[in-house]
Amino acid sequence: MLLNPRPIYTIAKKEFADNARNKWILALVSIFLVLVIAASFMAGGGKLGEMGLTVTTLSSISAMLIPIIAIMLGYATISGEAESGALSVVLASPVRRVEVLLGKYLGLASVICFSVLMGFGTSGIIIAVMTGEAQWGGYLAFMLLSMLLGLLYLSLSICFSSVLKRRVTSLAAGVVIFFWGMIIGMIVIGLYMATGGSLNEFIMGDTSSIPEWVWFEMFLSPQDGSSAAAMLAFGETEFMGYDLDLPPWLNLGTLVLVQLLWTIVPLTLAFIWFQKRDV
Amino acid sequence: MGQGICVGEHDMQESNVVIETRDLTKRFKDVLAVDALNMKVRKGEIYGFLGPNGAGKSTTIKMIIGLLRPTAGQAFINGSPVSDGRVELRKDIGFLPERISFYDNLTPVQTLNFFCELRRADQSIVPSLLKEVGLDDVAHRKVGTFSKGMTQLLGVAQAMIGKPSIYILDEPTGGLDARWVKVVRDKIRALNEQGATIIFSSHILSEVQMLCHRVAIIDKGRLVAEDTIENISSHLNIRPRLWMHIPGLNDKAPLWLNEIEGVEAVAVKGDTMTVTCDGAVRLAVMTTIREKGLKIQDFRTVEPSLEEAFVKLLSVEEGS
Repeated sequence: MLLNPRPIYTIAKKEFADNARNKWILALVSIFLVLVIAASFMAGGGKLGEMGLTVTTLSSISAMLIPIIAIMLGYATISGEAESGALSVVLASPVRRVEVLLGKYLGLASVICFSVLMGFGTSGIIIAVMTGEAQWGGYLAFMLLSMLLGLLYLSLSICFSSVLKRRVTSLAAGVVIFFWGMIIGMIVIGLYMATGGSLNEFIMGDTSSIPEWVWFEMFLSPQDGSSAAAMLAFGETEFMGYDLDLPPWLNLGTLVLVQLLWTIVPLTLAFIWFQKRDV
Repeated sequence: MGQGICVGEHDMQESNVVIETRDLTKRFKDVLAVDALNMKVRKGEIYGFLGPNGAGKSTTIKMIIGLLRPTAGQAFINGSPVSDGRVELRKDIGFLPERISFYDNLTPVQTLNFFCELRRADQSIVPSLLKEVGLDDVAHRKVGTFSKGMTQLLGVAQAMIGKPSIYILDEPTGGLDARWVKVVRDKIRALNEQGATIIFSSHILSEVQMLCHRVAIIDKGRLVAEDTIENISSHLNIRPRLWMHIPGLNDKAPLWLNEIEGVEAVAVKGDTMTVTCDGAVRLAVMTTIREKGLKIQDFRTVEPSLEEAFVKLLSVEEGS
């Protein structure tokens, strides 16, 4: 059961070109570029700030924006095409379903990666040239983490797109998945408060008394996990000016590992469900 | 299959069968869409797949092409069972789905180029394919702006990529205006003359009668009949009829006609008379009428139509 790379390439190329024609890519590159420069101005207090601070400022916004983009690209790729009928002709061709799904994933993933690379890359160079100091290691890690976050949400959106029947229901699922990453933090804080914790620890910067399970939220919310990983990649362990006292199991390695799991598990499920799907 | 009729199965040579279904069954939750369907399509024929809307035609076709998984039973292409892993089976099939749609952002040329690549066919045939279905003057317009009929025609062009030897067309003339219906029907005939086997579904009886060598009639997911139109008609005792225009008849059916041997039924309406009888007694019928002093102003024979067979078969089904 070897995969044939040709149809995978054909479908990936079509997905990429389709989105390029849609002006998606141009829009994304511009958004990323403007976002980084704006964040850098904020971090530098009116002039371009250094990269570490820029990323800290930026990461929470990009951790929101990138999932939206990935969900928009992926939510209808199976369900929408199955509903319209476009998928029938593709699946009636001499290609396997695994190849179709893989081609779609790679094509859409390259839209995300290309946009991040161009948008963040260009703005990174601008900042480095203007400020004369570059933390390329951290910045590169930030770009990779942003791409990983994009791939993660693309996996999630393709996963529910391959199991849901209709375009609208998968759009609804996309909204739920998006807000999951934002709400889980509030739920965990709520649980922490309910079990006798108080926000003082966060405000006073005395994080050592926070129970370890609260930090587990970083694994449950891909968005928070990605932001945290970006900060750790720059060696930033400060939060609002206070040093964070993180449990030993929460580090860049474990965060990336969990992000990878969030990517691989839904994608595997997508393959299984798509294989069984009635089109 | 119950009391369905399958006449002429004895002369079926296995090597000639290109598409076959064995007890093919599909259940959607509580609806049994296709019920243990057995059919065989022979090489080189135009096979009509006929049934009312919702009879299970599209479901069967989708199982043959591998878009739907059968609940039970199996479909075979050239003797091999259909499964997702056996992509090479589909290489030889041109498929036109019932509700066809393409990518809105692509032009017809880009669309066909994409499918040529997927089917590993040469892209140089694209302009000629577009010309054949009359889309050459909109070759660079986006498919998203196309009417339903134009998309359908692009679907026909798409099915012809790689010159497959089997065509599976689900309602190929649905949504087309009269001019293009003819183009598509002529195309079906031409492809068949070049040696291709064609299966197409339709709920338009005259179309099936016009084009098909053999038909399968399906209702409520079950095969009601599979044979040539002539055999189905003769099996159901649908005979050719003699239609005559006799001035002065005035709704009165002459009783003496029934006395002629071979006459089954006589129906009179106004000045026209329809006699159902064996072909051999037609002349006797007409001679008798003239001998009785009536004047036949016009006459013709009415061949058994699929419509009659269809209505009769379905009413038999309802009754059982």
